[in-house]
Amino acid sequence: MSPGLGYEAPVNSFIEHAMTALYPRTAELPGIEDTDLSGFLEKYRSESTFMMWLGLMAGTFVFIATPILTVYLPLPSFLLSARLLDKHANRITSTRFYLVRQAIFLIKLAAGLCWGSHPDVRRAFAMDPYPPDPGTWKTS
Amino acid sequence: MSHISHRERGNDLELEVDYVVVGSGAGGAAAAVTLARGGAKVAIVEAGAWRDPEDYPGSSYGAMRDLFDDWGSQLARGRALWPIVQARTVGGTTVINSAICVRTPGDIFEQWERERGVGGDAMAERVWAHQDTLERELSVEEVPKDARGHSNRLAMLGAKGAGYESHWIHRYVKDCDGAGQCLQGCRAGRKRSTNLNYVPEVLRLGGYVVSSAPVKRVLFEDQRAVGVQGRFQHPKTRRRGADFRVRARRAVVVAASATHSPALLQRSGVRSKALGEGFRAHPGTGVFGVYDEPVDTNTGATQGWASTAFREDPGLKLETLSIPFEMVASRLSGGGKNLIQRIREYRHICMWVHAVRAESVGTVRNGFFDKPVVKYGLNKKDMLRFRRGMHLVAQTHVAAGAKKIIPGIQGMPYELRPDQVDLLLEAPLDPRRYIAILSHLFGGCTMGDDPATALTDGSGRVHGYTNLVVADASVIPSNLGVNPQHTIMALAMTFAEDLLDDAPA
Repeated sequence: MSPGLGYEAPVNSFIEHAMTALYPRTAELPGIEDTDLSGFLEKYRSESTFMMWLGLMAGTFVFIATPILTVYLPLPSFLLSARLLDKHANRITSTRFYLVRQAIFLIKLAAGLCWGSHPDVRRAFAMDPYPPDPGTWKTS
Repeated sequence: MSHISHRERGNDLELEVDYVVVGSGAGGAAAAVTLARGGAKVAIVEAGAWRDPEDYPGSSYGAMRDLFDDWGSQLARGRALWPIVQARTVGGTTVINSAICVRTPGDIFEQWERERGVGGDAMAERVWAHQDTLERELSVEEVPKDARGHSNRLAMLGAKGAGYESHWIHRYVKDCDGAGQCLQGCRAGRKRSTNLNYVPEVLRLGGYVVSSAPVKRVLFEDQRAVGVQGRFQHPKTRRRGADFRVRARRAVVVAASATHSPALLQRSGVRSKALGEGFRAHPGTGVFGVYDEPVDTNTGATQGWASTAFREDPGLKLETLSIPFEMVASRLSGGGKNLIQRIREYRHICMWVHAVRAESVGTVRNGFFDKPVVKYGLNKKDMLRFRRGMHLVAQTHVAAGAKKIIPGIQGMPYELRPDQVDLLLEAPLDPRRYIAILSHLFGGCTMGDDPATALTDGSGRVHGYTNLVVADASVIPSNLGVNPQHTIMALAMTFAEDLLDDAPA
């Protein structure tokens, strides 16, 4: 992906909205909003493939556009109350529409990679933090 | 030492060797080291970068980025879209698998002889002799007691309780420390993936390794393969670099995987009705059990327990599988506070899986941007096996003392009580209801003595072409019903021996 096309900020805010709804903060565990989500999305956009990023954007669009299927309101998800948004986030993952489920899975997967690798989350499950990412390879 | 990594544009590479081997995974590395030990000058050309344990990333994100082919996003297209997980790195999928070592069952060679006119006792003896060597050289051992972890021990208990045979897995792993990191590359360096042994040995024997070098096409003079060409790709930015061309005086050995080998031969202009046909796999899925005590599935061998008791009937293999925490988070159904509530049980859950010895057959074609396009779906018989496998795994959890089962089937309850597991016998047969993957891929360049139905002969030589050999899972014409790495490596060694025998003195 080439940086600086100008669409990143609004797109990222929509993706963050969907991911935050899927992995919210609770009394016991940090939510994805407690991680460096913006940094993660920037990294994901620049490091993943075009198709992976496209899938994430498509999944986000589907998430935003489908409250009609889950809470029966013709509203985008970002206009839902907190209670209805949580209900939407839960129900949309098991909708009977296969392609919708698949699209949502792409957000859940990417969000899971971010949330699940956060040191505080791992600590809560008695796991050591991941070591620093070397990002290296053999050159000789 | 001649490892040639990414080169920027303008710094083109030209090499000439006896044999060029495309791919450095189980098949490619085994073929290359056999050729090099036979005194030949060999070049391994690998699409991915070369990473050793100190370069492995640790996290699932890093593994998908650095080790997986296309971030693990390759999908088999059928009624459902099921992912195909393969690696793209020096060492190939041996870097990210659980290194499970199972000897090729004797019935497989009989089947190949009966149905394809290849195999039989002669091939069996040669393959098993190579498997003896592999087991010795790659330190195959049973999962050590201290590295089994609670999930694997529970599975053994469950199988005993359910009344069927099972065993601790034998793996290409020396002194496993039970870090549970097989799928992200073993940072402890205990797994004997081919980037740590056979590939460096090829270098020591005077060969070349060209990494970050996806092959665009095989080069031909008439019907004779004479080399390969392509363009380097930067391991991080994926920007295209310099052109490379590796000429082969004796033969080109294609071992790029069951999806990439057929695609490469198609875009190289190889003509055969059999090319890309006969794609098979072990589709599988996992069932979680929830236990009263913490299981901590992230500790212990990623896969330490298995059963082949159902290989013949109904055609299943059962195994434990500890997927990374991040993957569990996305694998459990639900979202929002409900999902977090479910994830809170993480320390008490473990996933065991089945792999179906499926009869269904698919195709592989070369698609846009040199990506293989796999079409594959399960027929009703295989879906019945698939469902039966889930029931067996659930029964095993119950026998091991699980208080709940999480089947992960859309349209069914999120969790089942032990007295409800028989509901799985009535689970839907629509593959779209399941979260599954295709592991253990076969076919696409299948072996056989009839060029009308087989691309390659019993030595991996492509019918109708000279100096062109395929030496990976794509030649395997049937579903093995067991983990294929041992078979792939031994077959590749057999084919390489045949090449050396054919070579002029």
